[in-house]
Amino acid sequence: MATTDSDPPIAVSETSSPAGAGPETIVDLTAAQGAAAAEVAPEILAQSLGGYVRASWQRVKSGDSGVLPVLLGIVVVAVAFQFANAKFLSAQNLVNLFEQSSIYMLLAMAEIFILLLGEIDLSVGLVMGLGAVVVAELVQPGAPASCALCTHGFALPWWLAIIVALLICAAVGAVQGTMVARLKMPSFIVTLGGLLVLEGAAIIVLHGGAVSIGNSLYNNQQVLYDLFWGKFSPIVSWILFAVVMVATAVYFLYRDTGRRRRGLVAPPLSLTVAKIVLVAAAGIVVIALCNVNRAHAGVIEGLPYLIPIVLVVLFLSTILLQRTRFGRYVYAIGGNPEAARRAGVSLAGIRTWSFVLAALVSGVAGILFASWQVSVTTNIIKSANSYVLLAIAAAVIGGTSLFGGRGRTIHGILGGLMIGGIYNGLYLIGVASEWIDIVVALVLLAAGTIDVLSRRGAQRRA
Amino acid sequence: MTQIEGEPGTANSTTSVAPADEAAPVVDLTAATHVTAVDVPPEILAQSLGEYVRGWWAKVKSGDSGLLPVVVAMVIVAVAFEVITPENSFLRPSNLVYIFGLSAIYMILAMAEISVLLLGELDLSIGAVGLLGGTIAFKLLQSPGPHWPWWAAIAATLVCCGVIGALQGLLVSLLKIPAFVVTLAGYLLFSGILILVLGGADGFLSVSTADPNQAVIYNLVQGVISPVASWVALAVLVVAFGVMLWVRGSARRRNGLVAPPASLTAIRIGLIAVVGVVVVAVCGSNLPAGVPWVIPIVLGILGAWTVLLQRTRFGRYVYAIGGNAEAARRAGVNLAATRTWCFVLCSATSGFGGILLGSFFYGQYSSNTGDPGQLVLYSVAAAVIGGTSLFGGRGKPIHGVLGGLLIGGIAYGVSLLNLGELSTPLEYILPGAVLLAAVLVDVSSRRGARTGSVSRV
Repeated sequence: MATTDSDPPIAVSETSSPAGAGPETIVDLTAAQGAAAAEVAPEILAQSLGGYVRASWQRVKSGDSGVLPVLLGIVVVAVAFQFANAKFLSAQNLVNLFEQSSIYMLLAMAEIFILLLGEIDLSVGLVMGLGAVVVAELVQPGAPASCALCTHGFALPWWLAIIVALLICAAVGAVQGTMVARLKMPSFIVTLGGLLVLEGAAIIVLHGGAVSIGNSLYNNQQVLYDLFWGKFSPIVSWILFAVVMVATAVYFLYRDTGRRRRGLVAPPLSLTVAKIVLVAAAGIVVIALCNVNRAHAGVIEGLPYLIPIVLVVLFLSTILLQRTRFGRYVYAIGGNPEAARRAGVSLAGIRTWSFVLAALVSGVAGILFASWQVSVTTNIIKSANSYVLLAIAAAVIGGTSLFGGRGRTIHGILGGLMIGGIYNGLYLIGVASEWIDIVVALVLLAAGTIDVLSRRGAQRRA
Repeated sequence: MTQIEGEPGTANSTTSVAPADEAAPVVDLTAATHVTAVDVPPEILAQSLGEYVRGWWAKVKSGDSGLLPVVVAMVIVAVAFEVITPENSFLRPSNLVYIFGLSAIYMILAMAEISVLLLGELDLSIGAVGLLGGTIAFKLLQSPGPHWPWWAAIAATLVCCGVIGALQGLLVSLLKIPAFVVTLAGYLLFSGILILVLGGADGFLSVSTADPNQAVIYNLVQGVISPVASWVALAVLVVAFGVMLWVRGSARRRNGLVAPPASLTAIRIGLIAVVGVVVVAVCGSNLPAGVPWVIPIVLGILGAWTVLLQRTRFGRYVYAIGGNAEAARRAGVNLAATRTWCFVLCSATSGFGGILLGSFFYGQYSSNTGDPGQLVLYSVAAAVIGGTSLFGGRGKPIHGVLGGLLIGGIAYGVSLLNLGELSTPLEYILPGAVLLAAVLVDVSSRRGARTGSVSRV
């Protein structure tokens, strides 16, 4: 509709313009400029802070609301629960909330790699379960129950155990990705079959009973335990923050001044400064909250290791998806696989690698899951499956499309935080767990409706 | 590719013949018969038994293998478990009857899911809706409590679940929210409401045989039809079905319509009779002797779904939407109404499945009766293993019954093996492996069909 409506006027202006060879090229130029202006997001071309804000608002109104709905949702959740229970926004509870949300965040980020392709991965929860069992088994000094001939355990150092567990998860992703990309089997079925097989495999590796990493006599178990439960001391937290902040500020300023010097499109200096100040403010709030003593008795304070771990995964996946050729190809396939194929993108290669990366991020979640649960049992493995649908829900709530080509890994963080916040808040005010499912369902439905309505509004206006 | 190449050719032939006015209809006619010959499966046009078998085999070879893979898999599973189970106990009547009761929920949910899969959509909520339906029915039967008559409790369940399906269907078809999101939210929502109806996470509802009203629900799976009544019912059914098939076939032949050869009709009737006799005989040698009610119930639902999808206008519309929604819309099919009704019927069928699940667990309902997520995944797996496509337009209710039976058979067979700690993982791994194998067969056979024959578009 939109193209047919806008085409005739151009054609009319072409015929009504003075005859000759010259006007044609002029008309072409105008048309090209118009197209470029339409396709480049207006806030990229903005030259001042005011222009940037106006352009962003324009974009939100046109239906591409980005992370705005989920941010508003998080504010609403925070305010509502703060009224219901004054403990909700306490430092103690906020750190607790982040810890509870971290698994959703990581699994949602893993899922986004697949959702961007327009595929789905139902197995992320059990890849996580497998990773958790493997890493816990590998650091055991005693003989594993699953190995009748072993006289002693693998007793690998913690870093080797993590690498092996991640490699095994990546291999699972490679097998599933190959089935989807090269054998052309539907991803829904491959990962549905995959989750059943993985559930069995994880239980076989566990071989009954429980595997614990809670024995502080062994350094390797202690390190794994600390991944989730450990924290920096307050001073180190501030130093770490300062180092990261300076690096971020220098990088932003250097990149943008470099772009301006070379005459490329660059955000105004005020915007760069505003971004840096915003990141610094957010960081200061987080560190200050984490450095409050959150123990009922004794002292628990400092930045949990968990937060930098999640942020590193976010940072690496964002760089990979937004700044590399691989990432551009992922978006291209999600937008239109046939067009991507004709442009020379190796569909099978990119798809397989996406499944590998998703499984790798799920494996990271698995290591933290083992650390969180301390003792891995059959029931823990079975419960890992219940995270899949909530991870997909987190990605969709964050703003990622189920149809591919639209989404960022930050959506997983925000969606995971929203779901974690709802869980935490409802527990805090003493609501039974069944109500939590109901509220998450309504939020998911709202996210889906907002997505559909905003896209429809954008189409109508275009 | 074929379309692009084909269209210019048609255009050329039309333009070259066009000058003569009477020539154009002739060209059209030829094109039409050609299309019919390609589209009608060869076995429908077969005039003798041999031709029919050859036509069927050609169809299997061309990639449309229908029920063959799942039936072969069932035979393999049955033989393998019979050989490896201790004392060769897998095919004992008591086990076979138990497997049918165990599989009933998967069969019913898979049939429900197939109606939505045929549209090319997916319903992730059926497990939660089914459990909610069972809970509602059990709640209404409680005495002291509402103490509704059993038929009213079933009717109320079907209505409640139908309304749930209508809500989800309207969100999908009118608001155009993806079915995956709507039913994922539905899965969470109704899992929560289910616990509320149960009365908390440790809530517990039961029906017993002491109360004649509750006994009807208890006996849906646990009760049996007495052997004499079973034989009489079988005889009546076989005769009725045989007469129907025979009359229809001969009427079609008399009217000069395409009809299967008489020998084929006779073989079909004989096959139904043999299967029926085997089932009744097996059930008769079980204790308590007789056919469990659940078998005619599942067959009744299968019959109802088959008639609805294969013999009514509604069913044709469902297949049309699944094949090509835009083509169906342009042909005048009301997409929104058909889609919504599919969701309504899917949810109502699931609700009835939930009642059967409670009856299978000796009339008890708790929050451990079933995991809504696992029920959905197993029923989608059952439908796909049976031969239904995830992409819409291909599938039959019978696929759900056979796929569900296969999954139930594997799960129970593994538990018979005394594998100790290995039996739990195998209960997950084997259905997963069967599912992957089924899809691999489906994908590779369809690819063979595409490269093998050019005439099929």
